[in-house]
Amino acid sequence: MSEPGTRVAAEESIPDIPTRIRTGLSAGFSTSLKIIKVSVPLYVAVTLLKGTPVLDLLGKVFAPVMGIFGLPGEAAFAFVAAFLLNLYAAIAVIAPLHLTPFQVTQCGLMMGIAHNLVVEGGVLSTTGARGGVLTLCRIVIACVAGLLLRGLWSLWEVASSWAMALSGLS
Amino acid sequence: MDALLSALLGALQLSAKLILIIVPLVTLFEVLRYLPVFRRAGNVVEPMMRGVGLTRDAAVPLFTGIFLGIAYGAGIIIRVAQQKGLPARELFLMGLFLATCHSVVEDILIVIGGNGLAILFVRLGLAVFLTGLMARVWKPA
Repeated sequence: MSEPGTRVAAEESIPDIPTRIRTGLSAGFSTSLKIIKVSVPLYVAVTLLKGTPVLDLLGKVFAPVMGIFGLPGEAAFAFVAAFLLNLYAAIAVIAPLHLTPFQVTQCGLMMGIAHNLVVEGGVLSTTGARGGVLTLCRIVIACVAGLLLRGLWSLWEVASSWAMALSGLS
Repeated sequence: MDALLSALLGALQLSAKLILIIVPLVTLFEVLRYLPVFRRAGNVVEPMMRGVGLTRDAAVPLFTGIFLGIAYGAGIIIRVAQQKGLPARELFLMGLFLATCHSVVEDILIVIGGNGLAILFVRLGLAVFLTGLMARVWKPA
């Protein structure tokens, strides 16, 4: 679904249900195939890199930036994949890193806002909107959202640990 | 060699997961998208859209983007935006909303192991807040 593969006319005659199911299945499979072609090599590459010092080095360089959002430095690589390609590529990078539930959520949130910037920036421009400005907005918004989620999450953890302590007392 | 083999196996598992999510999602969308409910839904959401500075004309591209995403919904978004001749202000506001909050179904489903509700909550809240704010800063001409 990261490619505008199925262009749909706004007003058209309505096909019957079997035709729709067939269209859906074939569109779904061709979209999946496009995604898999990108994500399989990336996943394999990252898994193999994990055994070498390259990923550690990359992680150390980006650790301060990623640390702001509560993420390990290696996640930077996933952000590059998300910005240039899409969430599927990013997930292919994230999966072998074994992150905590918070970190996965954080990645999902930030990359959900800012991903596939090249293609989607183009789409937004085609409608007549200011594609470049909006793309910049997306990166800024992703950072704001990341800080927001980190704050909310730690609040939640504090609150739930208090709730646990309280229930332990009574 | 062992490392390569296990990497390939992991990649295969990931691919299977992706297919299991994407194919049913796209099929369901194809089957449901002609329902008149979707056309009528415009009436319901109109008051909400006015709050963020958008009119009815932007409803179809906006909701296509929210649920399907910008790239996948591109065909619908571009077509409707040009057909209806949306003004620059509305295009920008719609773009801003979609930049923050789009393809929510897909994004939440594929973030395996994360908290989808937290993601949805932050994105929707931020989108409404930012777009509402910009609608007040950029007054209609």
